Amino acid sequence: MQSLRVAVDVGGTFTDICIMDEATGLIRIEKTASSRDPIDGILAGVDKAGIDLTRVALFSHGTTVATNALITRRLPRTAMICTAGFRDVIEIRRANKEDLWDTYKDVVRPYVPRRDRLTVPERIDAQGNVVTPLDEAEARRVARILRRREVAAVAVCFMNAYVNGAHERRMKAILEEEMPGVPVSISSGVLPEIFEHERFSTTVVNAALSPVVVDYTTRLGERLREGGYDRDLLLLHTGGGVMTPGSVKDFAARLAGSGIAAGAIASRHIAGLCGYPNSIGLDMGGTSTDVSLAYDGQSRVTKDWHIEFGYPIRFASIEVLTIGAGGGSLAWTDEAGSLRNGPQSAGAYPGPACYGNGNRQPTNSDANVVLGRLGTSLAGGKITLDEGLAAQAVREGVAEPFGLSVPEAADAILRVANANMSDAVRLISISRGYDPRDFALVAFGGAGALHGVDIARELAIPVVIVPPNPGVTSALGCLLVDIQHDFSESYLVGAAEADPGEIEAEFGRLEAEALARLAHEGVADADIVLQRSIDMMYQGQWRSLAVPAPRPIGAIADLTEAFHRHHEREYNFRRDDAPVGFFRLNLKAVGVVPKAALATHEPTGATPEPSRRRPVWFDGTAHDTPVYDRTSLPAGFRLAGPAVVEQVDSTVLVPPGTRAEVDPYLNILIRVKE
Amino acid sequence: MAETLDPVTFEVLKNAFITSVDQMGEQILRTCYSFVIYNRDFSSALHDAHGHSAAQGNQDIAVHVGTLHFTCQDVMRAFAGDMHPGDVYAINDPYAGGTHFCDVRLIRPIFADGKIIAFSQSNGHWSDVGGSVPGSFDVTARDMFREGLRITPVRLFSKGRFCADVACLIAANTRDPASIIGDIQAQAEATQVCEREILRLVEKYGRDTVETGLAAVQDYVERAVRQRLAALPDGEWETVDFIDRDPSGPEGMIPIRIKMTIRGDTVTYDFTGSHPTIGSIYNSAFGATFSAVAAGMKTFFPDLPLNSGFYRAFSIVAPEGSIVDARWPVAVTGFLMPFEKIMNAIYEMWSRIMPERAIACAFNLEYLLTGGRDGRRADKPIYMFYDWLPGGWGGRNGKDGSNVTTACFGTGLMSQPVEGQERANPILTTEYEILTDSAGPGRWRGGAGVRKTSVMLEAEDSVISYICDRERAVVWGIEGGLPSMPHGLSLTRAGQSEEWLGSVFSDVPIGPGDTFSRPTAGGGGFGDPLERDPAKVVEDVADDYVSVARAAKDYGVVIRVIDAELCRYEVDAAATEALRAEIREQRRGWLETDPEHVAEAYRAGRLDTLDVVRRYGVLLDWDKGTLLPRSTAQFREQFAKRSAAGWRDA
Repeated sequence: MQSLRVAVDVGGTFTDICIMDEATGLIRIEKTASSRDPIDGILAGVDKAGIDLTRVALFSHGTTVATNALITRRLPRTAMICTAGFRDVIEIRRANKEDLWDTYKDVVRPYVPRRDRLTVPERIDAQGNVVTPLDEAEARRVARILRRREVAAVAVCFMNAYVNGAHERRMKAILEEEMPGVPVSISSGVLPEIFEHERFSTTVVNAALSPVVVDYTTRLGERLREGGYDRDLLLLHTGGGVMTPGSVKDFAARLAGSGIAAGAIASRHIAGLCGYPNSIGLDMGGTSTDVSLAYDGQSRVTKDWHIEFGYPIRFASIEVLTIGAGGGSLAWTDEAGSLRNGPQSAGAYPGPACYGNGNRQPTNSDANVVLGRLGTSLAGGKITLDEGLAAQAVREGVAEPFGLSVPEAADAILRVANANMSDAVRLISISRGYDPRDFALVAFGGAGALHGVDIARELAIPVVIVPPNPGVTSALGCLLVDIQHDFSESYLVGAAEADPGEIEAEFGRLEAEALARLAHEGVADADIVLQRSIDMMYQGQWRSLAVPAPRPIGAIADLTEAFHRHHEREYNFRRDDAPVGFFRLNLKAVGVVPKAALATHEPTGATPEPSRRRPVWFDGTAHDTPVYDRTSLPAGFRLAGPAVVEQVDSTVLVPPGTRAEVDPYLNILIRVKE
Repeated sequence: MAETLDPVTFEVLKNAFITSVDQMGEQILRTCYSFVIYNRDFSSALHDAHGHSAAQGNQDIAVHVGTLHFTCQDVMRAFAGDMHPGDVYAINDPYAGGTHFCDVRLIRPIFADGKIIAFSQSNGHWSDVGGSVPGSFDVTARDMFREGLRITPVRLFSKGRFCADVACLIAANTRDPASIIGDIQAQAEATQVCEREILRLVEKYGRDTVETGLAAVQDYVERAVRQRLAALPDGEWETVDFIDRDPSGPEGMIPIRIKMTIRGDTVTYDFTGSHPTIGSIYNSAFGATFSAVAAGMKTFFPDLPLNSGFYRAFSIVAPEGSIVDARWPVAVTGFLMPFEKIMNAIYEMWSRIMPERAIACAFNLEYLLTGGRDGRRADKPIYMFYDWLPGGWGGRNGKDGSNVTTACFGTGLMSQPVEGQERANPILTTEYEILTDSAGPGRWRGGAGVRKTSVMLEAEDSVISYICDRERAVVWGIEGGLPSMPHGLSLTRAGQSEEWLGSVFSDVPIGPGDTFSRPTAGGGGFGDPLERDPAKVVEDVADDYVSVARAAKDYGVVIRVIDAELCRYEVDAAATEALRAEIREQRRGWLETDPEHVAEAYRAGRLDTLDVVRRYGVLLDWDKGTLLPRSTAQFREQFAKRSAAGWRDA
């Protein structure tokens, strides 16, 4: 009987495996060290967890294989074929720099070096007319050169191919004749949207990653099949859904950033279970914090993202803001005497001073130890923290230079860290027109639950949710996803000239493509959900705003009114007299994967005793504070701050003035404000 | 003052101020109408109640740095005693510390407890502010009256009410009134975003604390700069850079001289000896000069936040009426040209003080403006095609220069997509590629520039203008590195042969089938090119950054082509050694060659432009090949100091 669902999140240090029993809804976590070939780590973890692969109904996976291949440039030799005269679009980019002032910090090199960017005579104009026909003889000559060079993947990137992809398709056919078996991505197939650099960059990433992820998914699929798993491996993509290996070959770039979306999905789902359709996810680890936002049950999505600056990947992606603040972030004093926090980190090794591995600079973790918030025995006693070293680092690094007591200095360190994280939350919420008072904060990752309440207070967020396993919440995210594909197409028409029939027909085409792909992946018709949106702007503006669109499309006036409303919410003003323009049609196609319900627990009425008490500092005073073991806390249990709840993968801080309760899913909800 | 804030509150406020300004930037990017703003020619600032800058945006364009406090203070002077919550003012006055008319600033006073606590300012480059040519860059202007609309401080919102009369007067003096009203709204909203954040801080920390914080963040930056200055040895450094010409004067380049003096924890930039204002728009008023100094120096302090504390750490001496201190009504729209000369000159001087951050000269900003009627559509609408290209940056100490990067007047500025341009304009681009051999040779070569070539389609009443420089004051190398190449545009009329229009011209008629092409220079080289590792030269050849021919001429590296299809090349070590010895022996002599002979060889086709510039240090009228004797003398003088002085003879 197939009754297990397994999700695997491979991180740099650990591979987390989340196993759910469909019958009971109970979840079990296995953590194992990541290996050089991630597949070995996964199989080792499966083995360690005692998973019988023949009983697995669904195996989903968030992977960093694609991201790492890009960052380390361990990419197969990839070539690009361009329109004559446009060999360097991906090197010219938009020519801007990320660091505006440091002349020694460069944008990284393009994924395809200049020597492997070849051109052929051809040209199509902005209206789609052929200006110069494709020179077939030259096309064939270029294909033969690439064969001689033994390139492993090719991106075909022609100007204006978004309006007319005929030349690209013909070039692809020639390549397939001349070098069969080599994957070819064409820009009009990958992303039929205006603006050459963004389209080409996405296409190049797609081509270069194709051999990487196909090899990876094939090998992993085979190993799982050997173990008896007989379904499709599901791969988490940045859009927040999964896809099957059948789609991976053609849309490899969607796996870039695969892992990042998992935390956002989990956070959204958990908040939804708790009755909060609006939530902000705060995933705080050792070196960085990922912030995400869901509104009305939907994650915020962006097409404006990259793995490395300068090389956009224009597929819809869950918006995640990453900042360099984590448990290991260093507190330091700059030359002008200001107290700073991060982005430098003590990393996993030597780690915070309290790890005793030789680092003497104070970190956030050290400050938490000094204040008694973080206990000295972690991970069920496997890790011991040295309180004396923590205090010494805080004293020498901050207390003495600023003339503060050690607890005051520790408090100062954390307040700066919390303010930095609050600024990040502010950027993703208030500055996008969302009021944090309407949101719940989901605090997870190893360190999120120590800082969550302070950040919520800073932003007037009324409630903090700490999931049952904060340290492995991302893996849970991989378990909660549907098959999802995103389609888009340029549609550059003023609202006044727009014809609803034409828009309906364009959407119809996208939907036909979507249905075909989902059918290919074995999704039943009844499980398919299609969501339309249209990117619109005031004519003359340069950025568009995605506005949900109905099916069928209805009156243009209703679409423009929806745009005015969105613009006002996001930017605080609307221009009713200004003409509106359409920019792009988007379609999100979802193949719903039936979800097993997470287990719920009846209140037992038990009132567990704290395992011990210790002094914990809040607002300049040491409070005698009870310390609970999380596994002992039953559903329905309520407690008032101050309290500390310890568990294997995290520590939950319940400050004075707040009240916490354990819900039926065993989340801890901390009410910051009534 | 910082002493009165605890370290946490200080750090929190410092970051919150910067965040509030960055939020303005994000809002403006998403709502603006001007495509120039959209491509990131904008800036934002938070000022204290005295108008000093407390924070500027992290992504602000360099060219506005250090000017926003001047315009804030001018607005304060104009409306002293008559400012109210909900007011927003506009100003674009270069004679009051602004940059040029296109940069229009909206300024909002922020009130707490009935008193002004701060100002927020949003500055954006509007696509047009009137004047005699589309885009408001008329290179033939001698005074401001042809340039565009000068906006001295005006009230655009009064106690929250939109002053439509004033706004419409401004908009009606431009070529695109609807977009101008849109940008006014977008910028006014952006200043409100900052106001909201400041009021939140006031609510949380109290008015006094926020006020103290606004001053403390400036003190903090000033302290940091002064500490670093004090740690440097005292001394004087001098250099000169040039504008190509004065159209109303005799042949000869126009010097901008700077002497930098570090004494203790202060630094002074003295422009004494710089040329008087010239008969074109390439003049700079004091605000823009101040900005160039701030931006140039900031490049060597990249980690410090920007605010008035930074500006207090240096002083400027600029002779009144000189090209760096133009007064009303001298034309200054092209201040970018002196601006970039000042920046590069400052790079050169600081490169000697901080060799670990040394950098040679960057290519020159170029700006192309074409406009007319689009003949592709029956109603023949007006089109405006404005374009700017990236180019190469200077070679660095231990690193080649950056290829194809935005000009130093603002590295956040984005270049435009050809596909967008072709939809909007009757223009087809046939080539937009890196230009082989454009980089200045050096042990660490400059970054590569590009060439863009476009053909005019069906269009009527079209004219083309070009704003550039360094056709003569060619991008230079340092520490023995060589110059790169001259800027300038060529026009090929349908069915005719190519003509050289150079780096500055205005209102040239252009019609269907005409093709225009312009390169951007690469960066200047750093260090002696004969000391470049031949393996690096081979790599450059494989990537076509450098040709086999110039590998020999510029680097003395002889390369054999094994199989070009497979990018297989190899160095002929013996031939390279011989060639390098030969060049070493001759190169000082080349710089002494009679320039007339060089000009003659150029006209006869025996020397090309790169030979003339890089080997002989000679400047010609690149069209006719006639010698520019005075410019050549000026160029050779600098060539000797920057390049030849860094060569080893054996």
